[in-house]
Amino acid sequence: MKQHPFCTDTEHEDSRSALDAVVPQMQIPAEARQKWIELQTRRQFLGRSGKVLGWAALASLLGENVLRSAAHASDTTDSQQLPTPADLKVPHFAPKAKRAIYLFMSGGPPQIDLLDYKPNLAALYDKDIPDSVRGNQQLTGMTNGQARFPIAPSHWAFQRYGKTGTFVSDLLPYTGRMVDDLALIKSTNTDAINHEPAIMLMNTGNMNAGKPCLGSWLSYGLGSMNDNLPRFMVLQTKMNAKENNQPVSSRLWSSGFLSSEHSGVGLRSSGDPVLYLTDPSGVDREVRRKMLDAVEQINHQTLAELGDPETNARIAQYEMAYRMQTSVPELADLRSEPQSTWDLYGPEAREPGTFAYNCLLARRIAERGVRFTQIYKRGWDVHDNVTGVLPMLCREVDRACYALVTDLKRRGLLEDTLVVWAGEFGRTVYSQGGLRKDNYGRDHHPRCFTTWMTGGGVRTGITYGETDDYSYNVVKDPVPVRDFNATLLHCLGIDHNKLTYRFQGLEQKLTGTTPASVVKGLLA
Amino acid sequence: MLKSSLKMPVSGAVKIWLGESSSRQRIGAIALCLALLSLPFVVHLDGKPHADWQQLLGRLHPLAVHLPIGLIVLVPLLEIYGKARPALRDAAAFVLALAFAACLGSLTLGYLLAYGSGASGPIVTAHLWGGTALSISVLLCLFVRPSWLSASAAHPANMLYPGLLASVVFTLAWTAHQGGSLTHGANYLTQYMSPAMQRWFDFDSQLASTKGSGSFYARHINPILDTNCVSCHGESKSNGGLRLDSYELLMHGGKDGAVIVAGHPETSLLLERITLPTSHKLFMPAEGRPPLQAEEIAWLKAWIAQGASASATALSGVVLHEDTLESLGPPPQPVADYSALMPQISQLALGQGAKLLPVSSLPSDGLILSTSNVSATFTDAQLAQFERFAPYIVEAELGRTAVTDASLATLGKFTHLRTLHLEGTAVTGTGLAHLAALPDLRSLNLNGTRVTAAAATSLDAMKNLRHVYLFNTPAQPASTAESQQDSARKTE
Repeated sequence: MKQHPFCTDTEHEDSRSALDAVVPQMQIPAEARQKWIELQTRRQFLGRSGKVLGWAALASLLGENVLRSAAHASDTTDSQQLPTPADLKVPHFAPKAKRAIYLFMSGGPPQIDLLDYKPNLAALYDKDIPDSVRGNQQLTGMTNGQARFPIAPSHWAFQRYGKTGTFVSDLLPYTGRMVDDLALIKSTNTDAINHEPAIMLMNTGNMNAGKPCLGSWLSYGLGSMNDNLPRFMVLQTKMNAKENNQPVSSRLWSSGFLSSEHSGVGLRSSGDPVLYLTDPSGVDREVRRKMLDAVEQINHQTLAELGDPETNARIAQYEMAYRMQTSVPELADLRSEPQSTWDLYGPEAREPGTFAYNCLLARRIAERGVRFTQIYKRGWDVHDNVTGVLPMLCREVDRACYALVTDLKRRGLLEDTLVVWAGEFGRTVYSQGGLRKDNYGRDHHPRCFTTWMTGGGVRTGITYGETDDYSYNVVKDPVPVRDFNATLLHCLGIDHNKLTYRFQGLEQKLTGTTPASVVKGLLA
Repeated sequence: MLKSSLKMPVSGAVKIWLGESSSRQRIGAIALCLALLSLPFVVHLDGKPHADWQQLLGRLHPLAVHLPIGLIVLVPLLEIYGKARPALRDAAAFVLALAFAACLGSLTLGYLLAYGSGASGPIVTAHLWGGTALSISVLLCLFVRPSWLSASAAHPANMLYPGLLASVVFTLAWTAHQGGSLTHGANYLTQYMSPAMQRWFDFDSQLASTKGSGSFYARHINPILDTNCVSCHGESKSNGGLRLDSYELLMHGGKDGAVIVAGHPETSLLLERITLPTSHKLFMPAEGRPPLQAEEIAWLKAWIAQGASASATALSGVVLHEDTLESLGPPPQPVADYSALMPQISQLALGQGAKLLPVSSLPSDGLILSTSNVSATFTDAQLAQFERFAPYIVEAELGRTAVTDASLATLGKFTHLRTLHLEGTAVTGTGLAHLAALPDLRSLNLNGTRVTAAAATSLDAMKNLRHVYLFNTPAQPASTAESQQDSARKTE
């Protein structure tokens, strides 16, 4: 499977060519200007014309003078100035965590082989899963034609770790060492059974594209701690061709209907972290500054003419890109890291694009005050050859996760950084595509999957929720995705019901319209 | 047309039914009054549940009572406006009669509910007598009303009916309040009053007694019972003769004997009832109230297993979240409201320099001094400029800035600091003693500085300092700090 192109890269290219065309002229030609006006979106047009009608009606009642002053006021508040965190009154309460790192295990890690220990299954090898457990659940197209649903016990043994004596698979020895510092959630569950809707639901609270993701909500609500870096950064892990890689697209770090400056900024997994970061030859920093000032002027003209808030976002993005020309090279320069870093993260961390490298980068990003960093690791979609692929995946991820948490802890960052480890769903207890003593496959399973979190605001050293003997259904303390996200927001000082944005007639929020609740049992 | 067609049968019916009441009717009414008054003594509420059908019907009582309430409240209104529109006066007689019938119905259902569910206690008794008095008063109203209508304005009988009606309304309000206290709990109305108002109503006196005591029972068991059980097993209503509002009463048990057997959770009736399947007839809390949480049940179980003591302060094997919070030390001093300085703070936020970020939208949570925009150029002199904001700053992020030991003296004046970041700075630790002036400092980050173990000892005396991070310093070189080392110091 081919890696999806980075959204930010292509955007960057587009804006660059647009720049080249516009800058020499310095003035927008009349026909282009006309085109711009025609290109106003329908929604914007309707929204504005509605207001115009309203004001016209008001004017006839109150007289022209009142209208003039009121229209002026509405202009400055509506289109020119976007609300700041202070206007939104966010954080709603003193947060435990100021920033978050989200380790996204795309594809759906098999909870039965990693963290949800089911010793009884060994005796049930190759027995069919009872109908009473499976109920009338609709399965994916990949296994609904199977004649049998034979139980595949985990190939790996589990050991007790830590003071809490929590069982962790032999595949995750490093995770085992830090298990006392984690809150394991065995009862996470989702509504979607296929990758795209499930991964959208996890990230945006909605299965359909077009809603802002968690990081965008945080950027919108919490604002920036460091103006030289984006508030929300996305790190993708290099693809391992031996694994079954589901595509990951920029929809997952999209700002949806929020201003596009809240979109995640992706760093590339190879080469320069950001394309065209260095000025081309012949262009020095001063020329670049002058050029940007000119572009900004033009953009301000456009803004005055059209009042499209997205123009503001564009101005902000040019400025951010300019500052990133110095801040990103400093961020990605690992030469200052002491030997202890490499001892902790392992030699893989020296190679850009590996999960270990990304974890190290995430720690450096967190140190620099970026609100939200999301690392994507693909390949967990183990429909077949679990015994062949899973050890590989775990080797890539296990030590790096441990290194990140330990590093944050010893540097005092774990106190106010939330770390989350989750995929979009779990995997079935029954084998997909036949079962052998030494190998099996597992299909998508939405009814339960295991996730963990740690750091600021999280009650560590606990296991939350329980699944039945088949790791099929949640039997205690279910945590649906909306509650999971509400809890993450709570750790960051946000009441999920209060961080809203009016769009399409609805006060939109990350947790959606179904009532969600913060999982108190997970809070410190 | 419609009015006259209604008027005839209504007024006619009232006249026929009341007329000038005959002696037979009077005797009947007196007999009914006596029957109502004697009912509580005949059908004694013994606090034991009885037949299911009684509860089945009885549970309609909270619904049905609203009918007589509405009708009774309507009567004075009809009488008053009836002055202007006589048709309303005629209706008043009919409504009053209906109200009496509805009173009798509600009273019956109320009896069934109380008797069937085994409710008893002072509020139940009060509510019962209130309902009985109300029914009798309404009946009396029916009898005195005709003479009120016919009496001349000067006649003393003229005042009898209005006075009786006023007392009916008062009795109604009082009885309804008792009923409300039964369903929602006695502190339903006062719960969200300010403490001053509560004092005025004198409702918090009994609450205060259990608070402040340090035993596990007082801090954890009593509150669980208070929230979940006492509305039916308390002073006002003690179903099954069981009261759970004090330690002695809890241990005494109810009509079925003791509910707590110290040391034996498996034979303790209380634990048995709360752990039955929620659909079970005997499951508690009854009447569809939410079951106890797993943690609450676990605490009750552990408390019983370990002797159900009134005075024990801690239980083994029970990790209380609250305890860890308490061990964090005294709460930090409150931060003054910085709202007046907001213009200056916003000005800083727009500029290129260091910023003051509010911890939250509540000014009492303080400000964070954030330097990440300008870290390399932020010096001792710049820090000194923030001294005027010191009373509001709870966290200073000075990591990787150009501040030196000289800033430690300045920081000693930031007396509200709870978290201080100095990682990656040129601080050597010679001035760390200045930080002793920070009573609320809980976390100090000195990673990657040149602080030595000897310099760090000056921090030992700071009682509230929970975490000192010394990773990658001479005090704790990175090479020795094994990856799994927790470099955080815990004050024990």
